[in-house]
Amino acid sequence: MTATTVGPADGSGSRDTAASPGRPSAVTAKDLARSAAVRRRKSARLKIWVGSVGVALVVLPVALANLLPIPGPDEQSLSLRRLPPLTGGHLFGTDQLGRDLLSRVLHGGQVSLTVGVLAIIVSGVIGLIAGAAAGFFGGWVDTVVSRLLEAQLSLPLLLMLLLVVALFGPSIPVITFVIAFAQWPEVARLTRSLVLVEREKPYVAAARVLGLHRVTTLLRHVLPNVVKQASLVILLLLAQAVLLESALSYLGAGPQRPFATWGRIIADGQDYITTSWWLVTLPGLVIVLLVVGVNLLGDGLRDRARRRKGPQTEGKVSRA
Amino acid sequence: MVRYVAQRVGQSILAIFLTVSTVFVLVRLAPGDPAAAYASPLATTAELDRIRAQFGLDKPLIQQYGIFVQDLFHGNLGTSFSFQASALDVVLSRMPYTIMLAVSAILFAAVVAIPAGVWMARHADTARELGANVAMIAGQSMPEFWSGIMLLTVFAVLVPVLPASGFTSWAGLVLPTVTVGILQIALISRLVRREMGAGFAAPYLTIARSRGIPERGLTWRYAMGNSAVPVVTALGTRFAAMLNGVVVVEVVFAWPGVGSLVVRALETRDYPLIQATVLVTAVLTVLVQLLIDLTYPLLDPRVRLGKAVAS
Repeated sequence: MTATTVGPADGSGSRDTAASPGRPSAVTAKDLARSAAVRRRKSARLKIWVGSVGVALVVLPVALANLLPIPGPDEQSLSLRRLPPLTGGHLFGTDQLGRDLLSRVLHGGQVSLTVGVLAIIVSGVIGLIAGAAAGFFGGWVDTVVSRLLEAQLSLPLLLMLLLVVALFGPSIPVITFVIAFAQWPEVARLTRSLVLVEREKPYVAAARVLGLHRVTTLLRHVLPNVVKQASLVILLLLAQAVLLESALSYLGAGPQRPFATWGRIIADGQDYITTSWWLVTLPGLVIVLLVVGVNLLGDGLRDRARRRKGPQTEGKVSRA
Repeated sequence: MVRYVAQRVGQSILAIFLTVSTVFVLVRLAPGDPAAAYASPLATTAELDRIRAQFGLDKPLIQQYGIFVQDLFHGNLGTSFSFQASALDVVLSRMPYTIMLAVSAILFAAVVAIPAGVWMARHADTARELGANVAMIAGQSMPEFWSGIMLLTVFAVLVPVLPASGFTSWAGLVLPTVTVGILQIALISRLVRREMGAGFAAPYLTIARSRGIPERGLTWRYAMGNSAVPVVTALGTRFAAMLNGVVVVEVVFAWPGVGSLVVRALETRDYPLIQATVLVTAVLTVLVQLLIDLTYPLLDPRVRLGKAVAS
C-alpha cells in the first residue's frame, strides 16, 4: 500500500505534529505509510510465531500421546475418582471413573485432529476443483457451481449435518464428509475469484496460442498460481473444522470409537461442574489454545501473502 | 424492480422446496426403522405393521413423496410421533423462544461489534489494534458449548446472580445471549474493521477531511455509509443462521427453542417433526435473506435492484 494509506495515517499524524506548533512537520505521508507497513509486518510476524507455538503445544503432545509416560485413556481406577489436577501424577487430574484426564484429552485429540485434517483435505480438493473449473471455463459450469454455492447458503446447515449424522451413524467417514460438505463452498468461492483474475493474464493466452489443451492450461499453469493463496484459507478452515467436530461430539453426534473426542469429554464432565471444575475447563482450554493458534497462524500468513502481492490483487479478490 | 422482486421470490420458493425435498429423501435413505423407534421394544411384527400403516410408512417411496407434497400445500406436516400433536404446531410453539434469543443476540452483537470494529479501524496497525484483534480471534476460537458452560459456572453456580437454564424470567436470556454474542461479536467486528479500513483509506475521505468535516461525521456518515451494505449483509446472514436454531447454546442452557427440539426429534427419529422444523426454519431463513437483499437500495443509493447488485 502506498498512497492509499495516507487517509488514516494522516489522522494520527496530525496529532503528532501538534506538539511542535508553528513548524511544518518533516514527516511526510510517505514516511507514515512506510512506518505503517513496518508495523504491519511486525504484527504479522508476531501472529505467525505465537500461532505456531500454540499449535505446536497441542499438536506435538497429541501426536506423541502413545509415547508419553501417562496412563492409558481407558484405564479406570474407581478409588482415584475426580482427583484435582497435579495430584498423584495426574497433570490434568482424573475424571468421574478415575481415568487420567490428560491422557483422555490427548488420545481424543488424535481422533479430533484426524477428522479435522481429513475434512479440510476433502473440502479443499472439492473446492479447488469446483472453483477452478467454474472460474476458468465459465458458461454452464460456472452457473452450476454458483447455483450450488448459493443453494448451500440457504440450507439450515448445522441442522442438516446433525440430521445426516443421526441417520447414517456417527462414524469417522460420515463426520469427515459432513464437515467437508459444510466447508467446500468457502474454498470454491475463493478459488473461483482467484482464477477469474488469473485467467485474463497473458501467459494463459500464450498457452492457448501454443495449442495447449484448456484442461492442461488450467492444471499445469493456472492452478499452481492460485493454490498457495487458496491454501491459506484452508488453514483457517481447519480451525472451524475442529470447532465443528467438537460441537457435533458435544451433541452426541461425534465419533464414538475408540476414544471420546474433545466435545464428548466436555459433555461428560458437565454433570460434575459444581464439584470438579477441571473436567470441563481443561479440555476446553486445549481446544481454545489449538484453535487460537491455527487462527493466528492463518491470519499472519495471510497478512504476509497480502503484503507481498500488494494492494492490487487484494482489491480484486475482495470485489469478486 | 417488480420483476427483480418476483424473480427473487421465485428463487426463494425453489430453495425452500429443494431443502425440504432433500430432507425427505435423506430421511428415507437412512438405515433404521422409525416404527421400531416409535413402538415399545417388545412390539410384535403385527404391531409394527399396524404402526407403519398408520403413518403411511408402508407405501412406496414415490407415493409417500406425493402425499408429502400434497399435505405441504395444505399446510399439513403430519403428526409428531413423540408429541402426538401436529408437527407444525409443536415447531411453531417453540419458534418464539428461538426468535427471541436470535434477536437479542444479534442486537447485543451489533451494539458491541460495530463500535469495536470502528475503533480498531481508527487505530489501524497499532499495538492496541493488535491486542483487540487477538482478543477477537480468541472469541472466535472458543467452542460455544464450552464458553456457555464456563459462563454458567461463574454466573449461576459460583456467584448465583443469573438463572442457569430454561426461560422463567428475562434474566434467563442474559447468559445465552452473551454466549451466542461472543462468537458473533468476534466475526462481525473484524468485518467492520476491514470494511472501515478500506473506507478510511478512500480518497473521498481525505477530501472531506480537508474541507473541515468533523471526525465523527467522517466516521459515521461517510466511511460507515459506504460500509453499510457488507455489514448489514453479515448481520442479516448471521441472524438468519441463528434462526435455524442456536442448537448448541440451546442445549447447554436447556432453552425451549427449536434447536433443542431438533436434537430430541433426531434422537427419537421423529420424521414429521424433523421435516416441519426444517421447513419452518428454511422459510424464515429465506425470508430474512430476501429482506436483506431488498434493503440494499435504502442503504446505498447507487444500488439498483436487479442490475448493480451482482457487480
